[in-house]
Amino acid sequence: MASNKTALKEQLVAYSFIAPNFIGFAVFTLVPIIFAFVLAFLHWDGANPIRWAGLSNFIALFDDDQFKAALKNTIVYTGGTVPLTLVGSLLLAVILNKKIRGRNFFRTVSFFPYVASLVAVAAVWNMMFNPTKGPVNMMLHSLGFKNVPGWAADRHWAMPTVIFFSVWKYVGYYMIIYLAGLQSISAELYEAADLDGANGWQKFISITIPQLSATTFFVLVMLTIQCFKVYDIVYMITQGGPGTATLVLVYDIYNKAFISWRLGSASAVAMVLFLLVMTVTLIQFKGEQRLR
Amino acid sequence: MKKIAVFVLVSLLLCTGLFAQGTKEDATAAGGKTTIKWAVWDIAATTYYQPLIDAYEARNPNVKIEMLDLGSADFMTMLQTQLSGGDSTIDVVAIKDIPGYNNLVKRNLLMSLNDKVKSEGIDLSLYGGVPEALTVNENLYGLPFRNDFWVVFYNKDLFDRAGVSYPTNDMTFDEYDALARKMTSGSGANKVYGAHYHIWRSAVQLFGILDGKHTIVDGEYGFLKPYYERVLAQQRDGIVQDYATLKTSSTHYSGVFYNNSVAMMNMGSWFIPTVIKEIAAGKTEVKNWGIVKYPHAPGVAPGTTLGTITSLGVSNASKKKDAAFDFVKFVCGSEGAQIVAATGTSPALVNDQVANVIASLPGFPTDPASKEALHTAKSYIEMPLHEKAGEIEIVLNQVHDEIMTNNISVDAGIAKMNDQIKKILAQ
Amino acid sequence: MVQSHTQKLKKGILYFLLCLSALIMLMPFVWMISASLKLDKDVFGYPIVWIPSNPRWQNYRDIWTTIPLGRFIANTTKLTIIVTFLQLLTSSFAAYAFAKLEFKGRNALFLGYVATIAMPWQVYMVPQFMMMRSFGLNNTHLAIICLQAFSAFGVFLMRQFYMGVPDELCEAARIDGMNEYKIWALIMLPLSKPALSTLTIFTFVNTWNDFLGPLLYLTKMELKTVQIGLRMFISQYSSEYGLIMAASVVALVPVLIVFLALQKFFVQGVATSGLKG
Repeated sequence: MASNKTALKEQLVAYSFIAPNFIGFAVFTLVPIIFAFVLAFLHWDGANPIRWAGLSNFIALFDDDQFKAALKNTIVYTGGTVPLTLVGSLLLAVILNKKIRGRNFFRTVSFFPYVASLVAVAAVWNMMFNPTKGPVNMMLHSLGFKNVPGWAADRHWAMPTVIFFSVWKYVGYYMIIYLAGLQSISAELYEAADLDGANGWQKFISITIPQLSATTFFVLVMLTIQCFKVYDIVYMITQGGPGTATLVLVYDIYNKAFISWRLGSASAVAMVLFLLVMTVTLIQFKGEQRLR
Repeated sequence: MKKIAVFVLVSLLLCTGLFAQGTKEDATAAGGKTTIKWAVWDIAATTYYQPLIDAYEARNPNVKIEMLDLGSADFMTMLQTQLSGGDSTIDVVAIKDIPGYNNLVKRNLLMSLNDKVKSEGIDLSLYGGVPEALTVNENLYGLPFRNDFWVVFYNKDLFDRAGVSYPTNDMTFDEYDALARKMTSGSGANKVYGAHYHIWRSAVQLFGILDGKHTIVDGEYGFLKPYYERVLAQQRDGIVQDYATLKTSSTHYSGVFYNNSVAMMNMGSWFIPTVIKEIAAGKTEVKNWGIVKYPHAPGVAPGTTLGTITSLGVSNASKKKDAAFDFVKFVCGSEGAQIVAATGTSPALVNDQVANVIASLPGFPTDPASKEALHTAKSYIEMPLHEKAGEIEIVLNQVHDEIMTNNISVDAGIAKMNDQIKKILAQ
Repeated sequence: MVQSHTQKLKKGILYFLLCLSALIMLMPFVWMISASLKLDKDVFGYPIVWIPSNPRWQNYRDIWTTIPLGRFIANTTKLTIIVTFLQLLTSSFAAYAFAKLEFKGRNALFLGYVATIAMPWQVYMVPQFMMMRSFGLNNTHLAIICLQAFSAFGVFLMRQFYMGVPDELCEAARIDGMNEYKIWALIMLPLSKPALSTLTIFTFVNTWNDFLGPLLYLTKMELKTVQIGLRMFISQYSSEYGLIMAASVVALVPVLIVFLALQKFFVQGVATSGLKG
């Protein structure tokens, strides 16, 4: 009886910690999200009466050129952006965590791409990588390259261009998370390793990486989600083109929801996106649990 | 137990939040005047909204018009979201494009204006065929407000310098092409392009519908082939700027015109007030310019062109429909048209008086041809009313982009349009 | 001797790479400033002119008169401060439970939190808007506060940092008779300064730069925010890039101030010596 009571009390204490955030979150975000889930099984345009759709919204996706192109592109984009950003931001954080001159300057500068206005950022990169007049291709020309890439205007190069741009934009953001993570690693661990005569690389592998596992889990999950949900960057650089070369899932969702007003179809695409993200997250979550 | 406790707590908090907010909203709604809320875009950049409102309020002292700015880029999305689920806070809506109009009608968000048009005796024939194009199942849901038609802008100084005579109000596509080639000269920073096509699909693709034999929602697009081939050839020969360059450098069509780098440019009449304003402000290199009618196919009357329609409708959920319609009637009527025309913008209600107002604006070209160019023979709307207009437009835009960047041949592109759009039509 | 030589070389290469990447990172910003001093027609001209020969300072004056930018900045500042404060408070509070307390359904609830981040806003935008409107929150700043202040992102971020704090620390405090609230306030919060400053920066930047939310919810001119203001320079038929860049530069200043002010916390970090992980 007594232990039951303390257990109950402990649980209530735990819930009381969660409540302030959870209540706000549940009311303003969770409820509409659950509604959106249900929508995937309905036909609705946001105004006329709702009709039951069963699985037809999902079945229609199998024969949907836009969706198929978007799914493929999104997976390619995520597969390219996540590892590059992860490695890049970790490296940058480790370097900028050292006591080097101008550290604060470099940190601030790395964060710039994330805060700078996307309009400006897209404009300048598009100008740099302009296929005919851009300085990048001018340079390649003068270096003797004959067939310079068309970057955002070429269907083979458009996706790498978008990926490059995304990595550039996000590296500074995740570097900050890694920097904060690095602060919580005890200096004693490194001191002990120094006594054992470990070199920099060994310390990085045996101390830094494992100690950062919680941070890495966060970065991985957030990056994956961010990549699957990419929209702004694509909109600014290629508008999904040329043709459908960089059409991504959220683009397709936007079109289905707000051009065609088929909210059910849009939700069905979102469900696919959601399941993809959940699968990846669950694998990472299990990995994190095992590490602990 | 604890779950129930938490649940009760949650619901209690929720309810208090609800009521607290509900009462607050009501308090602000009171007042002696009828307030009509008008959903628009670009309040800061549009010069005719306030004069229209002032004129109407002066006439109707107990009505107050309040504008809600939903931004221009996402206007139709924002508007339709606002109207979802029957909201009565918006009374009058500006409708930016035909796919948007189509969706609003399909979603039953607009009031049918048929009875009002009849009871108020509105003469729809003054709108040059536009109301017919906006009629769905014999119901009209919006009164035309602006009708921007496409013309060719040209830079007089460049023509004078090259010793070439100005374009005329009667040009076939072949003549237009020849003139553009003649006007191309120089290289590097001094390069002058004979013509300029902005990256919009409508600037190139819609040449194809001007003979009246095809529409853009047919599902069969072979008729576009000669037009694409002509423009791609111009692109290859350096007569016009490369589409890929324009797209990736976000080049705005106004910039190239202001900088004396294009001799001719096909663009909508909305560009007229902008050019006048920018030249007056001294922000341009171009000083002397003119407009002529759109080029046409052989056998088609000169003055046949594209029209971009903006209309005004009344929200179905509005609680002040009569007052709202009265305002719409004023704005779209002859007085409203004069106010709009006084800012250089083309109202949908066209008559000689309105055309004269635009032509006599300070800064408008003084040659007779430019004045004459304000009179259109026939204008086809950019996108006809169609249930699948939005989805069709997505595919057309994608393939246009692919063809113009030379990522796909014209034939393959047309086959792709045929294929995908037939699929959409069959659904 | 040899070692110091290679070390010097290594350092040289490192600095070269850092400077190169700094240059790449800074380029858009430099372009922004340069564009903000140009006429619209010259912004996209080739070859790229980095230093305008005839800088147009007028742009920085015009932005305040063409749109009510001052009002927009005040609105955004108010929203951003409230949202950031609430976000920090509720997120770190909830994260403590997820990281350090045992309770039923912890993992499921946590995964649920994370999962919702995966839903694109476009999907639930319409139902959410209808709900908020029925609460009477349309055209109120409260709407933006409610939507932004309780994000799952903050909880996730804070949880991950608390996971890194050794459990023994909490155990020791419990044995000393501290209750959980005290442990959170007196031990966890001070320890998580790097994480809190990270979350502050992210929330601040997100709220400051939020565009679609305010666009949908704040349609009255007097309520609008900076990001909507920036877009007002790009209207249907004209784009005043000179002005938009000038306003963007101005809008960037507060963000940079917050970043610079909080940056020192990334360095200070947790004095965890004396603890064993």
